[in-house]
Amino acid sequence: MGKLFLSFGILIFVVSCTETDGPAEVVTGNSSDRIANNTVAYNNERNAYFGDLHVHSMYSYDAFIFGGIASPNDAYEFAKGGSIRHPAGFDMRLDIPMDFYGVSDHAYYLGIIREMALGDSSLSQHPVAEGIDSLGDDVNQRRSVFLRFAQFASAGNGSEVMDDQVVKNAWDDIVASANRHYEPGKFTTFIAYEYTGTGPEEEVLHRNVIFRDSVVPEIPFSRIDSDDPQDLWSWMDTNRAAGIESLAIPHNSNLSDGLMFALSDYQGRPLDSAYASQRIRNEPLVEITQVKGTSETHPALSTNDELAGFEVLSVRIGGSTPTQPQGSYVRKALLDGVKLEAEQGFNPFKFGFIGSSDNHNSTHVGDEDNYYGVSGLLDSDGQKRGSLPLDSGGENDGVYFDRYARFGASGIAGVWAEQNTRESIYDALRRKEAFGTSGPRIKIRFFAGNNLPDVDDRELVAKSYAGGVSMGGNVITDRNEPATFIAWAAKDPNSAPLQRLQIIKGWVQNEQIYEKIYDVACADNMEIDSISHRCADNNASVSLEDCSISSGLGAAELKSRWEDPEYDSAQHAFYYVRAIENPSCRWSTWDAVRAGVEPRPDLPGTIQERGWSSPIWFIPPQ
Amino acid sequence: MVIVTVLKHPLFLFSILGSFLFFVDFWTEYDRQGITVTVAQQQRLSTLWETQTGYAATPAQLDSLIANWIEEEILYQEALRLGLDEQDSIVRRRLIQKLGFIAESEPSKPAEISTLQNFYRENISNYTLPERYTFRQRYFQTETDANDALMLINSGETANILGEPSMLNSEYAYLSKLEINATFGTGFSDQITTTNTDSWQGPLLSGLGFHLVYLIAVHEEETTPFEIIQDQVFMDYRNQQEQNTRSNFVEELTQKYSITIEPR
Repeated sequence: MGKLFLSFGILIFVVSCTETDGPAEVVTGNSSDRIANNTVAYNNERNAYFGDLHVHSMYSYDAFIFGGIASPNDAYEFAKGGSIRHPAGFDMRLDIPMDFYGVSDHAYYLGIIREMALGDSSLSQHPVAEGIDSLGDDVNQRRSVFLRFAQFASAGNGSEVMDDQVVKNAWDDIVASANRHYEPGKFTTFIAYEYTGTGPEEEVLHRNVIFRDSVVPEIPFSRIDSDDPQDLWSWMDTNRAAGIESLAIPHNSNLSDGLMFALSDYQGRPLDSAYASQRIRNEPLVEITQVKGTSETHPALSTNDELAGFEVLSVRIGGSTPTQPQGSYVRKALLDGVKLEAEQGFNPFKFGFIGSSDNHNSTHVGDEDNYYGVSGLLDSDGQKRGSLPLDSGGENDGVYFDRYARFGASGIAGVWAEQNTRESIYDALRRKEAFGTSGPRIKIRFFAGNNLPDVDDRELVAKSYAGGVSMGGNVITDRNEPATFIAWAAKDPNSAPLQRLQIIKGWVQNEQIYEKIYDVACADNMEIDSISHRCADNNASVSLEDCSISSGLGAAELKSRWEDPEYDSAQHAFYYVRAIENPSCRWSTWDAVRAGVEPRPDLPGTIQERGWSSPIWFIPPQ
Repeated sequence: MVIVTVLKHPLFLFSILGSFLFFVDFWTEYDRQGITVTVAQQQRLSTLWETQTGYAATPAQLDSLIANWIEEEILYQEALRLGLDEQDSIVRRRLIQKLGFIAESEPSKPAEISTLQNFYRENISNYTLPERYTFRQRYFQTETDANDALMLINSGETANILGEPSMLNSEYAYLSKLEINATFGTGFSDQITTTNTDSWQGPLLSGLGFHLVYLIAVHEEETTPFEIIQDQVFMDYRNQQEQNTRSNFVEELTQKYSITIEPR
């Protein structure tokens, strides 16, 4: 038996090695399809895999301007556990490698700024390139060059400096790097890019486009082609018909000033069922959290959610313009979606969740205690990112730099997939069996159905799949039985224990939308209050002296078989799980502790890290 | 006569001699610098003009461009002579960047099979699976419960019914130490006694609680033969060539410098 396993292991290794794609030419075949699925470890009950699908390398215009020097190849080396150099000179490394990773550079100006800085091509003679070859230690200069490029594109002039050959060279390198590092069964890479469309006032309508396999277009569709997301979806639809499968994941809806989930399209027309089906066909997921803020909900939208103010960033990037909460947060969009479904029969906002980082150093930062910023030289130390006061003496005494202080060390994507391959993980993303966390590798399971097992059943997962649907699925409420759920979370073995497990419900009744939060499991045997539906506080605390946390409090796992006490089978509704850790130090507090100074008083000293499952929808029959 | 007196005055003679030496030095230094506007440079100026304006420079315009270039070159040489570049971070970073681009643009050489074989041998650890472990585990929230279970097992109870249900699997196959730590928390793999197979060990503390572990097998390192993994070796070789170009370049240059770091 042992021998059999051994040769099996060799077979896996051999296949995975010989199947890695060839040299830099664009690969036309689907290499991994040729690997028989059973040669890579396969789990019917699905494993949790963690990854980051939002990472920028030196080919991104902003990353390069910020001092970015790491290539897509470096990015994948890092994700697998290697060490790479930060532009400020220190080494960056992960304690635990990633299971999957996707470099997602901005398609517009892809590779262009680097080419301009070479100084030898006609691109560097264009007026917008002024100073691109003389970026030094002055971060303000770097910032102003970055803004000039962003505004140049907003003004519709970006095409003047788009050179298809330069873009293609960069894209080919991105594709080749992803293919080179893909090790089926061990480490999955996704060919990806960021579509950076924006509204007329720099409202963020950004999406990451993730390709299922190595069959990819010659060149990515960018905001130079169109700022209207519907044009992106049409391009993706056309590709799909030609065998190029992809999905788009919007991010930073929090910075969209209400445009990301507006109830009209980019041209101002009301939404209809054609819009909804095209959107949801191409966008099954949203990025609920990342460095530039968490987009779950806003305290102004969810007045009864005590935990709604988590890492909220409400001022747009590159300025001080506020962004309105309405239309910018995912919970409200889910509510608007079920309302549209109930009233008009279509739902454009039927999406699941992932997290990712949006790191511009080719790396992933999700740990509060190992946060070194995400913007190259612009936020590479505590003073630059606003956690430490500027040098004492003079007019800056006791003043903090503000721009990056409210960035969060957030964002990782989780999926439930049978095996660590492109096909298996992509399909999990497609069916929304995905979850996101603010950084820790918290695992979350979520099932709903009429035939779920007892919560302590030793075959809980198998029986839940058999008797219900997993996150991302639908329950057609054709029987007037109670809505039953299995909610289950396990802590990250390298992070704080869990404090509470919540189910968040949103529904439509009498043309009104409602949301309600139920704590369904509490650590330390705390009671759930029958009126407020909240766990009693377990009084877990954090020392702001050294960031140590309460020992002996919190749980390794929390789970519950829960019935909605107010269930009405005639309601259109959704439910998702939120798992909450005990409090721990925010990155800015870690910076202060290490520097031996007081934590900055106008920032939260501690946070409660958390994870979100994708929703399950309850739909009454037509 | 006053004039004669002055002419004969040692101070006057000294200053004449001094001025003479100064000018000799001045002219000889600038002779050595010399500025030549090469044909290639004239061509570049002409092309640049055409790129920016869309039409070719007339002879008069070219003369003017050359004159302008000479003036800039003089100022540039003078700035260099005065060392104005030395403390300027922009110049410093830019020059470093330029040199980096030069290093990167060196074409990588095609690889002989023997070169690849050498590369494979030198990097054998990259083509070797690490030691891996196949084991069963049982999970307990408290150390007491784990110890009680261990006593039951040792008194003949079957282990299948013991342990609390959790998201962990009851059996793991072929996990490396890194993978074990990703699942159970950093440091967990070091607690497993790898010489102890075929019996239950523990309780071991993880980031999740306490565990009893039954090690079924330790799988030794396994090296994949070169013939099977040749394509991968080639890609790794080429990739490393690219990455090495720059660091070799830096290293070569470093040989030309003797470096002293003053004690703080």
